Amino acid sequence: MTQDETQKMFLFLSGLLGLAVRDSQGRKVGRLADLKVGLTEIFPKVLTIAVRRRGKRGLLALPWDQVESLTGAGVALRPGAPLQFTPLEVGSQEILLQEDLLDKQVVDTFGAKIERVNDVHLLIVNHDLRTVHLDFGARGILRRLGWLKGFDRIVAWLFDYRSEEKLVSWKYIQPLVSDPKRDLKLNVTARKLAELHPSDIADIIEDLDRASRSSVFKMLDLETAADTLQEVDPKLQLALIETTPEEKVSDILEEMEPDEATDMLSELPEEKARKLIRTMEKPYRQSVEALLKFEEGTAGSIMTTDFLALHRESTIEAAIEEFRKSTHPLETVSYLYITDTERRPIGVITLRHLLLCDRQEILGRLMNPHLISASTEDDLGTVAELFTKYKFIEIPVVDKAGVLQGIITLQDIVKAKPEEL
Amino acid sequence: MGAGLKRHWKGLMLFLAVAGPGIITSNVDNDAGGIATYSIAGSHFGFRLLWSLIPIMLALVLVQEMSARMGVVTGKGLSDLIRERFGVKVTVYVLLGVFLTNFGNVIAEFAGVASSLEIFHIPKYVSVPVSAVLVWLLVVKGTYRSVEKVFLYACLFYVTYIVSGFLAKPDWAAIGQSVVRPEFDFSSGGLAMVIGLVGTTIAPWMQFYLQASVVEKNISVKDYKSSRLDVIIGSVGVTVVAGFIILTCAATLFKAGVRIETAADAALALKPLAGKYCSALFAFGLLNASLFAASILPLSTAFLICEGMGWENGVNKKFSEAPQFYGLYSLLIFLGAAIILLPGIPLFSVMYISQVINGVVLPAILIFMLLLINNKKLMGEHVNGKAYNLVTVFTIVVLCLLTGAYLYTLIA
Repeated sequence: MTQDETQKMFLFLSGLLGLAVRDSQGRKVGRLADLKVGLTEIFPKVLTIAVRRRGKRGLLALPWDQVESLTGAGVALRPGAPLQFTPLEVGSQEILLQEDLLDKQVVDTFGAKIERVNDVHLLIVNHDLRTVHLDFGARGILRRLGWLKGFDRIVAWLFDYRSEEKLVSWKYIQPLVSDPKRDLKLNVTARKLAELHPSDIADIIEDLDRASRSSVFKMLDLETAADTLQEVDPKLQLALIETTPEEKVSDILEEMEPDEATDMLSELPEEKARKLIRTMEKPYRQSVEALLKFEEGTAGSIMTTDFLALHRESTIEAAIEEFRKSTHPLETVSYLYITDTERRPIGVITLRHLLLCDRQEILGRLMNPHLISASTEDDLGTVAELFTKYKFIEIPVVDKAGVLQGIITLQDIVKAKPEEL
Repeated sequence: MGAGLKRHWKGLMLFLAVAGPGIITSNVDNDAGGIATYSIAGSHFGFRLLWSLIPIMLALVLVQEMSARMGVVTGKGLSDLIRERFGVKVTVYVLLGVFLTNFGNVIAEFAGVASSLEIFHIPKYVSVPVSAVLVWLLVVKGTYRSVEKVFLYACLFYVTYIVSGFLAKPDWAAIGQSVVRPEFDFSSGGLAMVIGLVGTTIAPWMQFYLQASVVEKNISVKDYKSSRLDVIIGSVGVTVVAGFIILTCAATLFKAGVRIETAADAALALKPLAGKYCSALFAFGLLNASLFAASILPLSTAFLICEGMGWENGVNKKFSEAPQFYGLYSLLIFLGAAIILLPGIPLFSVMYISQVINGVVLPAILIFMLLLINNKKLMGEHVNGKAYNLVTVFTIVVLCLLTGAYLYTLIA
């Protein structure tokens, strides 16, 4: 390949497949059937060309450095070393452009949706062939049908217009490989998915077929997986949980607020839920078990046990300290509850107090003593009425003895099933 | 005892949750064109062709079972699989063929609506636009669940054909005789009729629709048995209904020597022979079948094209999210209805072209299905077993030969 003329050249995969592969003497050795790329780089480099030879079953591989030039006219091999064909093998960080990408579905993280690949746009720079874009547009389909030139001519003649290519940079592409035997450990590229909002990931998962679904779910980190799991359709939740190893599911559940995890567990078959709870870390397990005791549709079943409560004699300083120490990301930080010695709530202070009041002030004197609380036994309709009546964003929940057990946030009520209200 | 009952109950609930796709797909099979074919078969050949429904039913079960199995195992639609395995070129041409033949069928359905309501003295300029809008709204405003429910109720109305069959007071002994000891009629007319029956019962769109709705219902591999039962029940049901249409016409029209060309002819001709109730039920059945198919065919067509081309689809999406899907759906319905309203449209040649394309597309799709279902990478352990494959290959070869023969009679 002479350097000056092919420094930089764009090619479409559809134009390359089936091209004749010739050795340095110009003898045809086979036809180009596929290209294998490594996924570790931002724009994956072609490592191997796959060649179909006459009379041979399966594809044979030739390393890219044996290729002298690759143009729309054909593939020419380098002179010198004898040709060494090996059976084509695909590693865990590699994919085949034709077999795994062309006509298959991928996630476009830029548009946050699933697209079907109509063509692959490649670039030759400094004798490296790289995947730079995927084509999702109608032009890609027309090109492959061989109708593009005719189409362009008609459209140009009619409207003096040329339709645009719909190319998306590889930077935003998450390939999906649904073959379970080749479950890719796509650590590098899975990061692209995590940049999406969990509700977008949930939409994507809902649109995918079963195999791709669980392979996408497996790629997510625990936190993203937890957020995503809460966003997907309840029927899919179970399916995803069932196809993921139990250890990992309980890790994912632990990323959630205990009340949310409890909600999810109560939807699962009893045995499965019990198994998952057993594999959880002790403190988390205890709060989940406590929540599970409450009947469905009661305040106790949807409340969060993560909340800040301080004794009436504590100071603002102690409260700030407590606030800092709370390691678990609290569902809400709107209120801090003030309790008596028996942990019965007697008042509330807001974040504003923490910010504005003197550090040595005693909480009991600052607090607002008009406290509305729900009982763990109350049904959700009653709780919802409290929210509508008093316009709080959270309400404390007490047990029969009046001891503070948890809080219900406005969000919890909004998420509750309509038939329980 | 109690545990056994509970288990049966649980099994029934599971089946009801999974059932739908197979029953609906099969019933749509008895659409305007189907009813016309069965009516003609009955009135021209009497009970003589009843036997052919049994092998047709078996072939239907076989083909549909494969569709359902592919849907359950891969979680992908048929056009999706064809695109992924055979590339965009093949897919586009197959989809184009399916589109054209389905379009022809949609026109036939609206013709069915028009002619059945004309029996009740409603002019087609009222019936066709109203039914087109109703059908369109059902899907655009509905969700998969609500749409499926409406479709399942529509299936119940096929009972009208069974009732009209009893009203026609056929000679049951003669019917039993013709099924148990079939008389094979190898005259060219009889053979063409059998081929027509096969062609109307096993159509390309069904495999796409069935697989897509199995996927949309998200039926998992462990519920597959219920899904298979759904397919079998659907196929048996459709055959019973077809049988009753044939025997109604055989017991009345054939006996009186009346020749008919359409299903509406049959309904009209039944009036003096079997009473006005029988005739009205027959016409109502045709209306129900035509409306039912007029809503499913465009839906299925839009679905399979969008899936193959990689466009957003599904009745759960909004118009703005899936413009191609709703665009195609609307085009098929409104264009199909409009063509019926145009005076002087050569309906016969439209049907003819649609039948020819159907004859080309069906073998292609059956062969693709056979290749896909035997693909280990795709189906894993759920590929066809050896014996099963032999039966399937045989059935598909016979179907392809019959379709080829039909195509030949059409063109020659």
